[in-house]
Amino acid sequence: MALDLGMPILVVDDYQTMVRIIRNLLKQLGFEDVDDASDGTGALAKLKTKKYGLVISDWNMEPMTGYELLRHVRADDALRTTPFIMVTAESKTENVIAAKKAGVNNYIVKPFNAQTLKTKIEAVCGA
Amino acid sequence: MACASKAEPAGPAGPTIPVNELLEIADYITKLKRGIAALRAQELTRDRIPMAHDELGSVVAATASATNRIMESAEAMLEIKAKTLEEYRSQVEAHIGDIFEACTFQDITGQRISKVVDALGQLEKRLSQFSTVVNVRDGEAEHDPEEARRKARAEKLLLNGPQLKGPATPQDAIDALFS
Repeated sequence: MALDLGMPILVVDDYQTMVRIIRNLLKQLGFEDVDDASDGTGALAKLKTKKYGLVISDWNMEPMTGYELLRHVRADDALRTTPFIMVTAESKTENVIAAKKAGVNNYIVKPFNAQTLKTKIEAVCGA
Repeated sequence: MACASKAEPAGPAGPTIPVNELLEIADYITKLKRGIAALRAQELTRDRIPMAHDELGSVVAATASATNRIMESAEAMLEIKAKTLEEYRSQVEAHIGDIFEACTFQDITGQRISKVVDALGQLEKRLSQFSTVVNVRDGEAEHDPEEARRKARAEKLLLNGPQLKGPATPQDAIDALFS
């Protein structure tokens, strides 16, 4: 199954540079419909107004972290099946296990490269 | 003083403090004053800490500015629509020149960070000397409620931050957990 390049993707990160990097990488992969939010609260508001095919989120943000966003998404009947990739500098095993338990689909440690992002998106979105 | 170490008799106003204890307190106060003077707190708050604050602010601004310039050049290269190879090469080289220029921030930020490291070293040295002089341990201090709240939040939400010397768990090990 080929990747659906038309699917909307939501990038959540409080660093605009990182948002820009991920946006460019996604653009190189062929994704055009990319939105962004600077924390979990903003992301949750966008998720409730538009159907996204994938969420790519940082962990460490204020006031709502990516981990809290993930738990909100998985607790919401309308959003619970949305694929969710955590892209973060939080690399302790306890973080990875907590995210997995909370229902994350994949986990990327910063810094990462385009190939890693592509591989994870393919794994999560079933290419 | 012949009676320096003897307890004074209780007077009509109640028991008095022995003279030797008063001398110890006076000695402690003298040491404390010397310790406080050695801290040079006014110099720290007037010069060194604002300097460190300003320098780090400049570092953040310089790195953000350089990153933006580098990304703008890279994005512009991705958008080049040249008719000939020569034209393409010329435009790419111009953007690469911009990237090289943007990278000059590193030398200046390195110098700024060295000044901050030096200021922190001075602060650490003076605080260490002061804590030796006053002989007070951390546990005797009152806890800052804001700091306690920040720590509790970080613990609850597993906010460990980036690890020194690379990630604590490498990507391969994480991938194994998801396979």
